[in-house]
Amino acid sequence: MSLVSTRGAARSLRIDGKLVLKLIVLAILGVLVAAPLLRILFETLSPDAIIAWSDVTSGRLARNLLWVPLGNTLILGVGVACGCVLIGGFLAWLVVMTDVPFRRTIGLMATLPFMIPSFATALAWGSLFRNSRVGGQTGFLEGLGLSVPDWLSWGMVPTLIVLIAHYYSLAFTVIAAALATVNSDLVEAAQMAGAKRGRILMGIVLPVALPAVVAGASLTFAGAVSNFAAPALLGLPVRMQTMATRLYGLIEVGQTARGYVIAILLIAVSALFLWLGNKVISGRRSYATITGKGGRAKRFTLGKARLPLFALAALICLATTIVPVLILIASSLAPSSSALFSNWTLHYWTGASNPSIAQGQAGIFSNPFIVSATGLTMSLGVAVAITTTLIGLIVAFVLARDGKGPLAGIINQVSFLPLLVPGIAFGAAYIALFGAPIGPFPALYGTFALLLIAGTAYLLPFSVQTGRAVIQQVSGDLDESARMTGAGFLRRLAAITVPLASRGLAAGGLIVFVKIMRDLSLVVLLFTPTMPVLSVLAYRYASEGFTQFANAITVVILVISIAATLLANQLQAKSQPWLKS
Amino acid sequence: MIRIENLVKSFGAFNAVDDISFSVPQGAFLVLVGPSGCGKSTMLRMLAGLETPSGGTVFFGDRIVSEGNRGWTIDPAQRDTGLVFQSYALWPHMSVAGNVDWPLKVAGMAKPERQARVAEVLGMLGIAPLATRYPNEISGGQQQRVAIARMIAPRPSILLFDEPLSNLDAKLRVEMRTELLRVHRATGATSVYVTHDQVEAMTMASHVAVLNQGRVEQFGTPEQLVQSPRTAFVATFVGTPPANLIPVSALPPERAANLPAEASAMYRPEELSVSAAPVDGSLAFDFAEASPVAGRTMLTGTRNNLRITAVVDAAPRFAIGDVVHFVVPPAPAVLFGPKGELLS
Repeated sequence: MSLVSTRGAARSLRIDGKLVLKLIVLAILGVLVAAPLLRILFETLSPDAIIAWSDVTSGRLARNLLWVPLGNTLILGVGVACGCVLIGGFLAWLVVMTDVPFRRTIGLMATLPFMIPSFATALAWGSLFRNSRVGGQTGFLEGLGLSVPDWLSWGMVPTLIVLIAHYYSLAFTVIAAALATVNSDLVEAAQMAGAKRGRILMGIVLPVALPAVVAGASLTFAGAVSNFAAPALLGLPVRMQTMATRLYGLIEVGQTARGYVIAILLIAVSALFLWLGNKVISGRRSYATITGKGGRAKRFTLGKARLPLFALAALICLATTIVPVLILIASSLAPSSSALFSNWTLHYWTGASNPSIAQGQAGIFSNPFIVSATGLTMSLGVAVAITTTLIGLIVAFVLARDGKGPLAGIINQVSFLPLLVPGIAFGAAYIALFGAPIGPFPALYGTFALLLIAGTAYLLPFSVQTGRAVIQQVSGDLDESARMTGAGFLRRLAAITVPLASRGLAAGGLIVFVKIMRDLSLVVLLFTPTMPVLSVLAYRYASEGFTQFANAITVVILVISIAATLLANQLQAKSQPWLKS
Repeated sequence: MIRIENLVKSFGAFNAVDDISFSVPQGAFLVLVGPSGCGKSTMLRMLAGLETPSGGTVFFGDRIVSEGNRGWTIDPAQRDTGLVFQSYALWPHMSVAGNVDWPLKVAGMAKPERQARVAEVLGMLGIAPLATRYPNEISGGQQQRVAIARMIAPRPSILLFDEPLSNLDAKLRVEMRTELLRVHRATGATSVYVTHDQVEAMTMASHVAVLNQGRVEQFGTPEQLVQSPRTAFVATFVGTPPANLIPVSALPPERAANLPAEASAMYRPEELSVSAAPVDGSLAFDFAEASPVAGRTMLTGTRNNLRITAVVDAAPRFAIGDVVHFVVPPAPAVLFGPKGELLS
């Protein structure tokens, strides 16, 4: 009797403990994610701001404020999604299903462009293709005496190309992973049925990979519509506005209410397509992957097309990875981007201020402002990596321990909400919430804390995923088998959990660090001269025409990012199942 | 009829299938059995036309379908064969009916005929109610039936099975064995069935090829394999339980007297008896396990890497730690040489 009652008491206590933890997690998520988003919405609904809605959607300026940028944004989104699925899908098919030479190398190269920030690719494009239309230095091709037409130099076409070059690796990763699960038995069964190659591709391979193609398309669409750097660097100089650049412009000139309206609409566009993509996939219950034994890899023989297709793949990979990096390095050394490979000087890196060059700007390593910005950006990356990993782990832990019930459902949804929110809109939301004092708390605008919590919230979906993977790996059988030996909680934590989890967590943290290092869209609105971040500095230099400095800073970002990424890959011995032979 | 002559398949320097020849008549149920890596799946894939032989010839009836020396093989679809994969390889984006229908569609059959044929084979395998379901919505045993239905729908004259039962649980496996034989008889086709499970081989086959390291150790009916194994490998691979093989040097002296010292003696489990105390012609083993088998008792003992199994009418109760004395008959059933070759 007494046993029963003690047990009952213990249980109710434990439930209370769980509940408290859940409420705490919910509160953290509320402040980090929900509050800024709600705040930006309410901000536009206040009596003196609500007119912004009609200004933006139907007023005299609506065409310029919303409709033209919306049109451009949608063109970019659709164009980039199509281009990425075509190129990413082509490379994935080549790497996973055919006997193309150097499959591993192509597979690795195809994942790299996403690690190069889009503003780096955009800057490299400018160094090559810039013409004299907007003044300033011209690019390498004009320097060679070629005349670059405006459409190739500025506006929609280069923006599309740069974004596709940046995002196709996302589509590649998703599609390659899906194709790798297409058991070669499925293809052989179709062969047995007498289907020819084309029919197998259309009747079996594509339908099975369709969910991944849709996922790749909606992810790259969302990426393209939220991207700020490429349209800002290649479109703004010729007044091509997207919603992201329009939002930035409105907030910069102080029309915050209108900016917030654009931000909300941008979130809606991006979220709508992600949701649609998700719906298409989950609506087809038949698409759960079937894994079986066997899986003997039998590859399509390309025959005569083998070398031409390899050459095409190699060209795509080189043009989107090595080439932009080389151009950036060369252009950070060349006094004139029209002569990228002559008169190299280290002035833009280490030179002291010289009034005759670049209006007396010192080289980036001699510029105390940039040096301190480097330190600041790196500490921001480290701080965000730590906080977001911690919170992600706690959220994942709470969800893993008790993932049922409405509270857990809300936690789950809110923690993945930032995925739907373009970085620049998220930045706007943070200004709306923390730009002014709240009660006893001072305004956070221009402080390290604001950058820290915005970055933490922005990368939360990622760290929750890392946390989940780590917990899934550690909990369950492994922990239970340790429990069977009689080891206590702390002992298990030290002997089983920490050793198993630390690599995964460290790798996840490093990726977060990289994402912060190279992020522009989130921080571009939160930037203040007191809190200079490298990516924004590069953007500012570029828009003011100091391309060498911009490119030099970008190279610094690249070096730090690549080093951290390699370290992370090393740590998690990144599994790329589609590369296994 | 299937006839195979000097079939070879090499991957680099390694011969997965090494000079195999045999033939089976129309309507036979041929089982290729052997340990993993013995080349049996490669054999099957060559019969299916999914692999081109490196040497040798495959005849279906009088027709040459693969000729390794010329590196030539008829396309899988033109060979009049059907294959059930170990993973079933059901197309996940098609319903059960869709999976069965698609090969017919590819073959260019008219829609009304297709519908009739799909209904017919689904009914034949008892899965008609599942027609609109998707592969991930049905159980493993049902997926298996769909895979078989898909294979027989185009009426192939040769049915190929690649370890089709290995993903099923024990009870279902026994049921599907019967089911497969029923399908085999109903279609009148020649079947080739690959497995590593000798029980499946012995219960289903009209002909068995025991494969080991790319070669046929023995080809014959199940009875022939058990009655007169041609190699030590076959002797210890087939039969439930398999026969015992004991080196002559380990036999009791009174039994080893007239036997060549290097040889191994085969004794069938049912020819052995057991005793709690040493007797004439007995060998001491440590008791390992005992289980009742169809009213008799199967006893196993181990000692010095040797394992011996006897099936006896009645046995004393042994416990772990006991020594069991297995009594071997005066003469071995078969004698094998040091390389496993048949001596007598």
